[in-house]
Amino acid sequence: MRLGYLLLSFCRVVEVGAAALLLCATAARAAGAPIPHGTLEFVAENQWIAPGRTIHLGLHFQMEKGWHIYWTNPGDSGEPPRVKWQLPAAVTAGEIEWPTPRRLGTPTIVDYGYQDDVVLIVPLHVAAGFTTHGETRGTAQFGAEVKVLVCREMCIPGKAQLSLTLPVESQPPAPDAQTAELFAAARKAMPRPVPSSWGISVADAGDSFALTAKLGEHFAQASFFPLQESQIKNAAPQQFAAVPGGFRLTLQKSDQLLKPIARLKGVLVLAGNLGYIIDVPVTANKAVTARRDDGRSLAAAVFRPSSVIATPPLAR
Amino acid sequence: MNRLTLYRTLVVLILVALPLLIAAAKVGDTAPEFTATTSNGKTVRLADYRGKYVVLEWHNNGCPYVGKHYNSGNMQRLQKQWTSQGVVWFTVLSSAPGKQGYVTASEENDYLAKEHAAPTAALLDPTGEIGHLYDAKTSPQMVVINPQGVVIYSGAIDDKPTTDLQDVQGATNYVTLALQQAMAGKPVQTAATRPYGCSVKYAD
Repeated sequence: MRLGYLLLSFCRVVEVGAAALLLCATAARAAGAPIPHGTLEFVAENQWIAPGRTIHLGLHFQMEKGWHIYWTNPGDSGEPPRVKWQLPAAVTAGEIEWPTPRRLGTPTIVDYGYQDDVVLIVPLHVAAGFTTHGETRGTAQFGAEVKVLVCREMCIPGKAQLSLTLPVESQPPAPDAQTAELFAAARKAMPRPVPSSWGISVADAGDSFALTAKLGEHFAQASFFPLQESQIKNAAPQQFAAVPGGFRLTLQKSDQLLKPIARLKGVLVLAGNLGYIIDVPVTANKAVTARRDDGRSLAAAVFRPSSVIATPPLAR
Repeated sequence: MNRLTLYRTLVVLILVALPLLIAAAKVGDTAPEFTATTSNGKTVRLADYRGKYVVLEWHNNGCPYVGKHYNSGNMQRLQKQWTSQGVVWFTVLSSAPGKQGYVTASEENDYLAKEHAAPTAALLDPTGEIGHLYDAKTSPQMVVINPQGVVIYSGAIDDKPTTDLQDVQGATNYVTLALQQAMAGKPVQTAATRPYGCSVKYAD
């Protein structure tokens, strides 16, 4: 934090001449602020800000081995990082662009998040009327108060106050290679839209949702990460069944889901940790509900997911 | 494989899979029966408290979400308020030995004294059996059982899923609401919420 502030001061003091630009460029990344078992760096994708533009900043979390932070839906436990922005007038922050999460935790308590290293990119929209004046003319200062829960066996809440100064430029300068690489990797890790040739549908099947994916190619496994809490039972196995042209995933409903939902949103992750953004309407599926009533062998009934079995407490 | 071996294998498989097959208690279910040892060495059974409201409070003294409610005095206040109205309040400790949050009976008693906590009793659940029966995922996590032995609330303690002390005041406390509504003979409006906190540290 201190070093970052020093660089900022340098930037402001040495304000005239070409030398100023060079010195400001070294403040492209504010020095990492300490967080529990890691550091948090505030990085600008590019050293500029201009009216009417969208710029991208990154929150680069680097955790000690085994420590993790959480996705926007943290799952069964935990809490996602929260950001309070301090922005110049005429600048607004968009939503965090979350990379594809990983499944963390244990078989009975399933969380969603990131281990070791992750960059959360945030777009900042600069209105056409954006101006700078007075002492700080030609630069804009950005602040972010970040609260983050970092966990391994223990959970430790942390808070970091970050700041960054960017020069007002009419053209984006060439990004430095390290920063460009950081953002490229971060973008690669984000879930992408589903290809237009794919067909994804979700049906309400009573105690579960049936997600059917017609992909035209073979995938041996898939898992679904719900965007919103309390819709899917995070710890329930997601039964995978091959269907012509793709697969069907059975997602057990959460015990907290008391009303039907109109749409199911989340990330579908296929082999190779490739994530796809899912946002589809939920339809009632008469065929599935009819099939549930037909006769089944005792063995099949015994080994079905727990929620359909009514059992008296075991005698002790 | 001969028939007897096959039979034995099947029995073993079923016994192993059984905890996963038996649905953990949900709102509206009969509260599963349990027997537990308290930090004072007494044996308690849930059945002994039929006819009273029972609150189960999953606890881990190292979790900052639990810390929020104890450092603010909120949990102690709730314990005193409701036990004085005849509610039975059990703090449940489901961390496995060697895991974060595991405490011996005397360590728990020291903690209760230091924090001026006032549960009816602290239940030692190192095998996690009670935790699994009630699908306890986090600490804190709260379950409210009515005098008829039915689970009427399960989930978060309140609606502010943070570690910030200042979020205690002004939060909607789901345990208080459930008890007030049920005691007034009304249905519990918010009966199931996502519990927030640190994961319960069951055995591997």
